Amino acid sequence: MSSSIYLNSKDVFLDTVNSKDYIQLDRVSTIYQSLKDSIKKPLKMILLYGKPGTGKSMFLTKLYNDLSSDQEVHIYKTPILDESEFYKTLAQDIFSTKYNGELNFTQFMKIVDSISLDSIPVVLLDEAQLYSDILMEKIRLLSDTRTIKFVITLHKTEKEDLIAKEHFQTRIWESIELENASPIELKIYIQKKLMKANCFDTANMFTNKSVNKIFKLTNGNYRDTNKLLYTLFDIYTSYDENHQLSSIGTTYVPSKLIEMSAIHTGLINA
Amino acid sequence: MLNTRDLEQRWLRYKIKSYVPYFTILISTVIISAIIYTFLNSDKKETTYIPEKTNKAPTKAPITKEVVLNTPKAPIVKETPEVKSINSKEPPVIISKVQEKKLSNVKDDSLKLAPSLGFMKNIQHATLPYYKEEPTKKHEKISKIVEETQEIEPQESIQEIVVIEKEEEKEEAQQINIKRRDDSNDIRDIIKRFKKNNNPALSLFVAKKYYELGEYHKAYNYALITNQIDRDIDASWIIFTKSLVKLNQKDMAIKTLKKYLESSHSGSAKILLDEIVSGKFK
Repeated sequence: MSSSIYLNSKDVFLDTVNSKDYIQLDRVSTIYQSLKDSIKKPLKMILLYGKPGTGKSMFLTKLYNDLSSDQEVHIYKTPILDESEFYKTLAQDIFSTKYNGELNFTQFMKIVDSISLDSIPVVLLDEAQLYSDILMEKIRLLSDTRTIKFVITLHKTEKEDLIAKEHFQTRIWESIELENASPIELKIYIQKKLMKANCFDTANMFTNKSVNKIFKLTNGNYRDTNKLLYTLFDIYTSYDENHQLSSIGTTYVPSKLIEMSAIHTGLINA
Repeated sequence: MLNTRDLEQRWLRYKIKSYVPYFTILISTVIISAIIYTFLNSDKKETTYIPEKTNKAPTKAPITKEVVLNTPKAPIVKETPEVKSINSKEPPVIISKVQEKKLSNVKDDSLKLAPSLGFMKNIQHATLPYYKEEPTKKHEKISKIVEETQEIEPQESIQEIVVIEKEEEKEEAQQINIKRRDDSNDIRDIIKRFKKNNNPALSLFVAKKYYELGEYHKAYNYALITNQIDRDIDASWIIFTKSLVKLNQKDMAIKTLKKYLESSHSGSAKILLDEIVSGKFK
């Protein structure tokens, strides 16, 4: 195997949120479909939550790409923490109204009332746990008007659970939880990802044993897995360049290399 | 590019660290198992020690006197041939000095060694009914036994044997010494057990042993103890009266036997009484 294969494989696991890199897994596909269905329903808000690295941002990006051709969708991957800026951005993106100076909630509501839209626009807000409680309350009030549909993602921590409780408990909303992958899903994820980039040889190197080892270290977290495998192929590249590949073998991924990658990425505290 | 060497070293350190608990567990398990093994072994040695000793005893205990007395008068010992076998080991010396006729009876029997421990075990587990049943069996055999005792047992021969033993002692002092130690060890062991469980079979055995060793006073005492625990043991009364005779208390012996015969119909007791009265048993 040439070093280019390892380089290509390494690049596959770069930690980027690109809807093209989205890997269809049975369970994830089901969840995604239910999310799409939820958007069609007359729900005020949709809450997407899960631990960091479970693919929430990827979901949101994928949803944006899929929906944008059919309906008006706006995605905000980085939270707009300033309240006025938030209203101004929405007024410009949804209602094409450019507002100079400070824009408060009342003024923004006037804009919302004054302009009628053909369809309800969907606003996707990533990392919503970073928004202030006051702003979250305003977003809730805004969704109550049914003029804008919000899909928000939250990290599932105690604090975020509290936010969800306070702001969305009494509202009509759908909540979807994203979880870490199981060992089988993780194997499919790794292999599909590699095969998508035509790295068939490296994809075949992941036996059940090596995937289980990876699962043990990452607990099925997609982000950690990506980081680990990126380092793993980095190590492979180094060995290849030093002509030491024969010492580690290329038929399967040895536990030693996985552990070395984990040490380098900090998953193992050595 | 990654520094794989450094990473490998870090990995090696991590591996060693990760195996430390397993090594600790393994080493501690080995140590614990070794301790348990040695402990169990020491236990085994202790238990096997006694049988070894007792096995040696018969081989190194060639006292014909013992044998002669044992065979006819110790009905507890089921295997009378065993005792005779001891004789067979030593006959060359004995035959030369003891009357050949007397020993011919002993010679005729099969050759078997009687390990004293097995014998003791039998006694230990024996229950009192065992003795109660004996007299009925004895009735059938007793006449034969008496005949044997009459032929083999004369005191003269015993004295002669004792003389022979003394001569042997000079020649093979070690052998005899070992024998005596084993006997006394046996007795001590049995006395210990008797003190624990008060089994009359054990005290009777001790009485018999002392009688065989010529320690009639002790034999008398243990026979008395046995009688106090159980009045119906025939063999105990016999040893008791025999010891009395040996202690020059013939009248007392006759009196005791008569009293005993009033309450029991022991054939062997009757025969012994006749022998004492007639002077055959001295």
